Amino acid sequence: MTAVDDTGGRAARAAARLVERARSGGRSAPLDTEQITERLGLAVDRVMGEGGLWAPRLAARAIRQSGGDLPEAAHLLRAHRTALPRLGVTPPVPTGELRVVRRISSAFRNPPGGQVLGRTLDYVGRLLDLLPEDEGRARSTAPGPDGNGPAAGPRPHAHEHPTGTPHTHEHPTGTPHPGTPHTHEAPPPAADGVERTPAHVLSVFREMGVVAPPSGAADPEPYDVTRHPVRPGAPRSAWLQTMARADTGSLLHLWYGSDWRPAGHEVPGELRHGALPVRMTHPVTGRPVTVGQVRVSEVQTFHSLPRAGELPMTLDVGYGICFGHNERKAISMAGLDLLLSHHEGAADLQHDVLLTLDGLDSTGYVQRLKLPRHVEFTSVLERARAARGDAPHTGDTA
Amino acid sequence: MTGRETGPVHNRLEGAGVPDTLTRERRCELLAAAEHDEIVPLAERLLADGATPPPTVVKAPEVGMVVLQVREPVEETRFYLGEVLVTECSVEVDGVPGWCMRADDDRVAALAGALLDAVAAASPAARAEVDALCAAVAERRAAEDAAEWADITATTVAFEELT
Repeated sequence: MTAVDDTGGRAARAAARLVERARSGGRSAPLDTEQITERLGLAVDRVMGEGGLWAPRLAARAIRQSGGDLPEAAHLLRAHRTALPRLGVTPPVPTGELRVVRRISSAFRNPPGGQVLGRTLDYVGRLLDLLPEDEGRARSTAPGPDGNGPAAGPRPHAHEHPTGTPHTHEHPTGTPHPGTPHTHEAPPPAADGVERTPAHVLSVFREMGVVAPPSGAADPEPYDVTRHPVRPGAPRSAWLQTMARADTGSLLHLWYGSDWRPAGHEVPGELRHGALPVRMTHPVTGRPVTVGQVRVSEVQTFHSLPRAGELPMTLDVGYGICFGHNERKAISMAGLDLLLSHHEGAADLQHDVLLTLDGLDSTGYVQRLKLPRHVEFTSVLERARAARGDAPHTGDTA
Repeated sequence: MTGRETGPVHNRLEGAGVPDTLTRERRCELLAAAEHDEIVPLAERLLADGATPPPTVVKAPEVGMVVLQVREPVEETRFYLGEVLVTECSVEVDGVPGWCMRADDDRVAALAGALLDAVAAASPAARAEVDALCAAVAERRAAEDAAEWADITATTVAFEELT
């Protein structure tokens, strides 16, 4: 038997003070939430996605409070969310309304509506920036060659050329990395055909007849996993909501390491990042009003999966979407949606998606394991000793 | 709106791509998009000038969430993507209801928005001032949008097949 020798939580409070001291002490300036939303935007996006709540300033506070522990920040945001009333449900927004700031297709070279890379480092070298702090700051604030963005000077990095030996040299920032599809650099292609709200590439596949039309089933109310326990056999709306709120790393691992994945790989036919409107009904006029907007990442991924006894006549499609700029999560979600749709009734896969991806569940479980379990562990020891025929131990084992 | 209005306000509306008569919904959208420092001073001034009687608060500013429901394109399934932090407020001015819902947790701005929604519906004189603010918001948003799109289109790519 053990007793907690922490009268009034003295030790726990002292431990919490140490955390607070580490968080706000030191010689650097206090961390402003605006710095976090502006400088660590991807972290804010991830926390909002996993917390299930679009609230950039609150997410920044959570990141600061957690000392940069993003699962803990998502936990804080999720917990805060439970204390807020639900004021309503928006009318359904078709994701075709997304106003893109980035849109690429791995399926088409030049899809209708065009391709814009947006803000990305996908096509340039990515190495740890070891510039002296002063020089780095000066470079990031100096006007670029177009007078707008930061200066884009050459950045030394190393890579392997397809036809040569590995070496280190300099590429001007912004030029494509060898080994990636070659883009037109000078002059840039005319942006005439580029659309702000392009139609989904999926519609092109449908016009070609290689993707089946929607099944045309009834239009049921969405399942709400935040209000009702979810189990295998739940409708598609349940697994889409679950994955949109999932822990990014867990989602990536489940998709990437899944035994259900076929040979070859999916092709993200379209990846988009942009803004979706949030609309509510005006209580006086009864008509919709845009009260805000959220940014999302959206992916449709395609594959031709084999079916027993038949040749694949159409492509399988998977869909992924999440709050903020988190392409890793959207691609993983689309891959899993494709598998879930193709392997209907695969209870194991549904179980894993519905019951193991929530960050709050899994990190909460780990937290629980850190609490005192002295009696339980004593019991485990006693059983092991009994199995070995040892005499019962009478002292303190923990 | 009653009748077509002319003058500098409506020139600005047209310049920002806003029709010269705002629907109530469009006005609400622009009030929801206005910054705190744009919307609150106008509401305070209209009250201080006596241009509008004091409002009756029907529903005090409340911070909460709305569930964002989306329809995906593959099976056209509806589902809940997540929740969005908003603040909602309802008032009445001379018996005319006003409503505001805006993103984030700014109670004062939501109260100001509801007041201006009611005032614009109740008083043609005050409506001109509210619409002038809406024009400024629309103008600013259009400029931001154009600047962002100019940056984005500079990253347009066209891929060629290597033979």
